[in-house]
Amino acid sequence: MHTPFVIYKISIALRREKVKYRILFHAKTQPICVNTLSKSIKTNLGELKKRLPSEDILTYEFETQDKTACAIVYADGIVNKQLLGDLIARPLSKLSLKSAENVEDEIKKTALFPELKIAEDFQKAMEEILDGNSLFLVDGVATGFIAGAKLLPNRAVIEPPTDVTVKGPREGFIEDIKTNMSLIRKRLKTPDLRFETVRVGKRSDTAVSVCWLHGIADEEVKKQITDKLNALQIDNVPDSSYIAALLSPRKHSIFRVIGTTEKPDIFTAKLAEGRVGILVDGSPIALTAPFLLAEDLQSSEDYFVSPFVATSIRFLRCIALFVAILLPAFYVSAQLFKMQLFPLGLMLTIASSVRDIPLSPSLEMFVVLLLLEILKEASIRMPKYVGMSLSVVGALVLGETAVSAGFLSTPAIIIVAFSGICLYTVPNFVETGSLLRWLFLLVAGSVGPFGIVLLGAFVLYYMLSSDCFGAPMLAPFSPLVPHDLRDSIVKYDMLSLKQRPRLFRSKNKTRLRVPNEEKTQGEN
Amino acid sequence: MVDFIPAPPTAKNTETIHARQIAFAAAFLLPAAKFLEAPSLLARYAKGDLLFPAVLHFLVQALVLLGVLYAASQSEKSLLERLQNALGKGIYVVYVLYAAYFLFAAVLPLLDMEKFVYAAFFDTAPTAFSFAAFFFFAAFACVKGVKSIGRSADLCLFLFLLPFCVLMIMSLTNADFSNLMPFFGTPLEGSMQAFSRTAPHFSDAVLLLPLIANLRYKKNDGVKITIGYASGAVFTLFFLAVFFSIYGSIAPREHYAFSKVAQYFPALAVVGRIDLVFIYLLSVVLLFYTCLPLQYTADLLAKSFSTKRKTFISAILSLALLFAVLFLNRFYDGFYATITGKLPFVFWLIADMLPLFLLFLPKNQNSNTPIKKEKRYA
Repeated sequence: MHTPFVIYKISIALRREKVKYRILFHAKTQPICVNTLSKSIKTNLGELKKRLPSEDILTYEFETQDKTACAIVYADGIVNKQLLGDLIARPLSKLSLKSAENVEDEIKKTALFPELKIAEDFQKAMEEILDGNSLFLVDGVATGFIAGAKLLPNRAVIEPPTDVTVKGPREGFIEDIKTNMSLIRKRLKTPDLRFETVRVGKRSDTAVSVCWLHGIADEEVKKQITDKLNALQIDNVPDSSYIAALLSPRKHSIFRVIGTTEKPDIFTAKLAEGRVGILVDGSPIALTAPFLLAEDLQSSEDYFVSPFVATSIRFLRCIALFVAILLPAFYVSAQLFKMQLFPLGLMLTIASSVRDIPLSPSLEMFVVLLLLEILKEASIRMPKYVGMSLSVVGALVLGETAVSAGFLSTPAIIIVAFSGICLYTVPNFVETGSLLRWLFLLVAGSVGPFGIVLLGAFVLYYMLSSDCFGAPMLAPFSPLVPHDLRDSIVKYDMLSLKQRPRLFRSKNKTRLRVPNEEKTQGEN
Repeated sequence: MVDFIPAPPTAKNTETIHARQIAFAAAFLLPAAKFLEAPSLLARYAKGDLLFPAVLHFLVQALVLLGVLYAASQSEKSLLERLQNALGKGIYVVYVLYAAYFLFAAVLPLLDMEKFVYAAFFDTAPTAFSFAAFFFFAAFACVKGVKSIGRSADLCLFLFLLPFCVLMIMSLTNADFSNLMPFFGTPLEGSMQAFSRTAPHFSDAVLLLPLIANLRYKKNDGVKITIGYASGAVFTLFFLAVFFSIYGSIAPREHYAFSKVAQYFPALAVVGRIDLVFIYLLSVVLLFYTCLPLQYTADLLAKSFSTKRKTFISAILSLALLFAVLFLNRFYDGFYATITGKLPFVFWLIADMLPLFLLFLPKNQNSNTPIKKEKRYA
């Protein structure tokens, strides 16, 4: 008799919640499946200890009234122990299991846990324990019971510091995906709101939830996103920015191709427009796709004020953005190549200011801009207590002293300061805007105003030829979608926005119906 | 009313373009090129009658355009597909011929652009490198396809209209339209010479031809494109009228007209040359326009060599043109005189007459593969 030769190759796909096994064997005998839970609680606990040797994995052992051994395995610190004691250990310790006809049913009846699942294999059991749930084992039962007693440390739902509004909702997403999902569900109480969770990260096993409004979002975009997420092979996902970078079809783009928000009201509004959202466990920043550049010019407050005010604010942001990016470059190019750009009076003032400056205009601007960037970076990283000192050093010592020492000119500092302030009118564009400002400064110093125009044309051409998840970056301006211009730089009144943006190809086009409109108009 | 809502392109083709975009190219992209050297050239030969040869040009080009549009309207398939079906491998001759033509036609706008850049962007003496930077942009634009040209045309709506309107409003304060009087005061010979010498500047229909060739004609597309072209003609004629009204008899010496028309606006003395900001904005349109023949050349060469990798072709093309411009710059006047004085027939033949042969294409060649509707914006 030849000895059966068994080869096991167990490949565990962690991505989906269902664990897949691929067992290859040559022999005629049945493979020995070491993965399923055994009836013996000792074997099970031993195997679990072997697989989860970490100190924070604890086991609480107790007995039922008829001395049947039971155990709860959990990860310390992320489980509600009181709940486990009250709803599982205490009722079960009073139970007699030997007389029960069906032990599993008896346990389910006794443990009045709202979230109780079954685990039949070690892999599933391990995943649940590591996810913060508890595994409840009973001797003589080859099934584990998963009690959803997760108690993860979470911060409160507060106003996000990066997205502050004067008027409008102040809730912000937090790091817990379940809380974030509930914040969305709170705002969209419709069965059409769908979540599809994908596990990403070989080590982190991070929950990434794709959400969309069924019948409104483009299913093709949703499929593209889930397909990409399923195909991701990464160790760890510390933040949603990882997912954004990995989903991006343009890896080397300096422009954002996926939208971000920390506010559930904005997130749900985008879902209602036909976008697809992505929530990542451990990140308060939610992602939305497709993303249009015009979104950066919009703010949630625009929808809570008069359309005239909103339009003027958006124009202001647009102008501020251009000023932020182009002003230092124009200042340098005007000094070096085209003095006519200045009015005579201003030209004389500038000439007298820069007369004794040892640096060339482009180098001077470079230095001031560098100072601004360093101060900005330092002020973000520096502890709050030192912040005041930084302001003093930055504004007074570096600025004032450098001017009085004749190292830098006042107009250069004014221009950079103004440019820096202007850039923050569009907070989501700060990084890109800052980079563009450097590029424009570089070409302005070398090729003059023509360089600025040329780089402008280059950037525009790059943007107009960029698509992400089927949406052109510069839409609705290029390609022109007249209907969607109503909520771009211009903001029409609410009654003019009855239909969803056409760019997202929603099947359900209407988002607002005013049934009594004609009647009311007639009465008036 | 013209429907400007972009209907989804009907063909499963990455090189999609919408009739609206062609109309915008005709209305906002093509006129900008006529604001550089053409006005002074027209004024030199036609004097106060400079509008007459311009109108004549527009009529001729409109006829060619209508002919091409009529040919396009005869089938659901695009002109390019029909031409491929009709000529078989002979299509490569067309590709090479038009690639050569566009390359030839690209040189004059490039030289105009270079001189304009030196005049409008620099008070100081610029180096040759200053304009050479343009070819980086050209190489990048050449890699992009017809879809990007269509989208750039969409963008030109904003980039053209705003600066054009502002510059014209600023210019009108100094315009004396009596300079255009009397009508037909110049001998016909002068006007005809102006017509002949500006043929390269007004060969518009051929610049729309590659776009129309990719278009799957739908109802009213011809109307949209014709309205677009008519609008472009109106913009140009209005600009020419304002230009001559301001400068009168010294207009022939006022090169790169649009950078100068608004400079006498009274408020500029107080606020500085803010007209330059609008001139620079309009220059973006000019840059798009200058790239157009190069993009067509790169596209046609890629088709001739049956390759989709245009990066290499674009790089070689841009480099070649950079050296050509640097070289021809030294013989600018002679080259300009040769092109405008002795070679207008090349433009009449290839740009105006040859496209009319499209009218003889077999009318309806239905393909076996149905045209799939694709939900993507052009």
